[in-house]
Order: sequence, then C-alpha cells, then structure tokens
Amino acid sequence: MKLSSLCLAVLLIAAQPAFAHHSFANFDLTKEITLVGTVKEVQFKNPHVWLQVMVPDGKGGQTEWSIEAGAPGMLIRTGWKPSTLKGGDKVTVVTHPARSGEPNGSLIRVTIPDGRTLGPGGPPAALKTDG
Amino acid sequence: MRPSAASAALAAALAFGSFTLGAQKAAVPDIWGVWMGMAGVTDGDPRFRNTPYPAAPDFTDWGAAESKRLASSITPGECNPWAPVTFMGGSGLFPIQILQGPNLIVMHHEAITQPRRIYTDGRPHPPAEDLLPSFLGHSTGRWEGDTLVVDTVGTNGRARPLNGYISGAVNSGVDNAVRLPSSEQLHVVERIRLVGGGQYLEDVIAVEDPKVYRTPWSVKRYWQRRPDIDVQEYACADNSRRDAEGQNPGAPR
Repeated sequence: MKLSSLCLAVLLIAAQPAFAHHSFANFDLTKEITLVGTVKEVQFKNPHVWLQVMVPDGKGGQTEWSIEAGAPGMLIRTGWKPSTLKGGDKVTVVTHPARSGEPNGSLIRVTIPDGRTLGPGGPPAALKTDG
Repeated sequence: MRPSAASAALAAALAFGSFTLGAQKAAVPDIWGVWMGMAGVTDGDPRFRNTPYPAAPDFTDWGAAESKRLASSITPGECNPWAPVTFMGGSGLFPIQILQGPNLIVMHHEAITQPRRIYTDGRPHPPAEDLLPSFLGHSTGRWEGDTLVVDTVGTNGRARPLNGYISGAVNSGVDNAVRLPSSEQLHVVERIRLVGGGQYLEDVIAVEDPKVYRTPWSVKRYWQRRPDIDVQEYACADNSRRDAEGQNPGAPR
C-alpha cells in the first residue's frame, strides 16, 4: 500500500516537469533512461541541484553524467536533505536525457542506498485542509 | 515652544500614535506567516482553486509580438526577478513569507531574492516621472474591511511572463501556453483576503497594461498557510550551469 502510494507520487511528480526557474527544453521529456552508477558529487546548490554520477560505459571505462533536479528548497520539502546522498553512494537514476546526446539528464527519480526513491522536488502532496 | 508645551505635544502625539496603532492591529486580519501557492488549476480544495490565466488574451499588436518573443528560445534572463503578478501567481513549488507591520507588509518569495514591499502607511505612489522602474514595481496597500487592496505601478517590463511560463519550454512540447508579457505600463490591483478559516489566502489579481492588452483581465490565486515549512535561500546565480539564455547545461563544474 505504502509502496503503491509512493509509486503514484513519483508518477505524478514525473508528469509535472514544471521547475519554473528555466527551460527544460534541452531534455527530451518523451524519453526515459535508467542509469546505474556511483555518485561522484552532489551539488546541493541554487538554482538547481545537480547530481554527478559515474556510470560504466560498457567499454571498461566510466562516463560522468550530470543530472539536474529542482531547487534545494523544493527538494528539502519533498524528502531530501543536503546529506541524503554523498560521494560513493550507489544509485539508480531514471532521467530524461539531453537532446544533444551529451551525458546530461533531467531527474525523474533516484533510488538511494537506503531503498528510498526520491523525486526532483515537484509539488508536495496537498495538505489536508481544515477550513 | 516652551518645554512643557513641547512635552504635552509629544505626549499627545504618542498617545494618538499608540491609539491608532492599537486600533489598526485589532482591526486588520493577520496574514503573517509562510504560505505555499496552490499549483495549477486543479490542485487541492475546490473551494480554493486557482482560476486559469487567459488562454487567448486580447493582445495589442505590440503585446502579440512580445508574447511570441517570450516564447522563443531566448529567455528574459534566467535569473531575472519576476513581475508582481508572477510573484503572486503561485506554482506549488516555492513558498512566500509575509511579514506584517502596521505600516508595511513585506513578502519574501523563495524563488526570487528581493522582497516585495507593500506600503500601508497611506502614502501615494511617487509621481510617474520619479518612479524608478523595477521588476516588482511600487506597491501601496490599504485595508477595506477584511480585504487588503494593493495597487502596483512602476514595473520595468523586463520580467518573465506574468503567467510564469519560461521561455523555451515551448520547444519541449510539454508547454505551449501563450506567454503573457507585461510592460512599464502595467497596473495591478489585488484584493487579498483570508478565507477557509484563515488557512488560505485569496488574491484576486486584476491586470491592465494598455501597451500589451486591449482588455484588462484578472485571475484568482490561492496560497495555503504552511507553518510547517521554512523559506530557503535562493541565490539564483550561485551555481547556474546554463548559458545566459538559460539553455545548454554545461559540463560538470
């Protein structure tokens, strides 16, 4: 039950790539790719958080991917903390890839070592109203 | 003036001042706090639901051309502040924090760095020739019963569209809404009040800008009281990994 609500929440977030700050036109929002790799660095900074992830390139080497999420404030309000991910953490990232073919992407969701799946900071679930 | 007369005048002024301060405090609603904008037009309680921006505004020729320009891949500067309508439009992504004093209301929006100041001390706008054009303009407010009426002029017309849409997003195929520009002729009148037992803030935003629109329009936007969250810093240029047009995220840095 909990898992299905989480999946639904993730789907809803993924369906709203409305980051308000700047265009995400560089990313192909009709495509999703999954990357399994190791976090090199987390830039938990404004205007948007970036994850640098090392992903095996299939030829014995590794490619550094730059994955863009929402603003730090947005992430903090949707389950993230600045300490959530650190260098060396193994992650599975689902992302909209860059149109250019470069190793950049717009974060859809990331599964972190403790098993949680976090989104890019989309709208928080509406609070129950008492008014 | 003799000292005793001066003292008496001072005492009278203080008494009058504290009387009016106390009366105002008792009379006006308390909108102090952190508020999160309701997202979209389908989010949350249907009683407090945003109304949509005009899909087919009555543009002037200049307005139509400017709308097209804003929908191109050239943005109005990705870190530029917003216009007051965009500020109050809400998105469900960023909160505002309202600090309310007897003569001044200050709104901090997480997504832009400068505060919005609404003078409630009875002052008028400066004369047009002395208005320093700014992104947020010059705002005065007065309470009419339970409603704060805010009048804004003096914008610079260089902010992103009033409906918050980001230029270039149209290329992504997920956002083709018409861009709603503004100019230095923007005049906004807002009627802000508490609804839903004080848990929501309603802002009826009336927009006229004769350089852009032949017909004024208005939207109703809602904010939900959120004492559980904080407003974070948003220093837009801190780690912007895009070019000046907000495109082409660069290599790792």
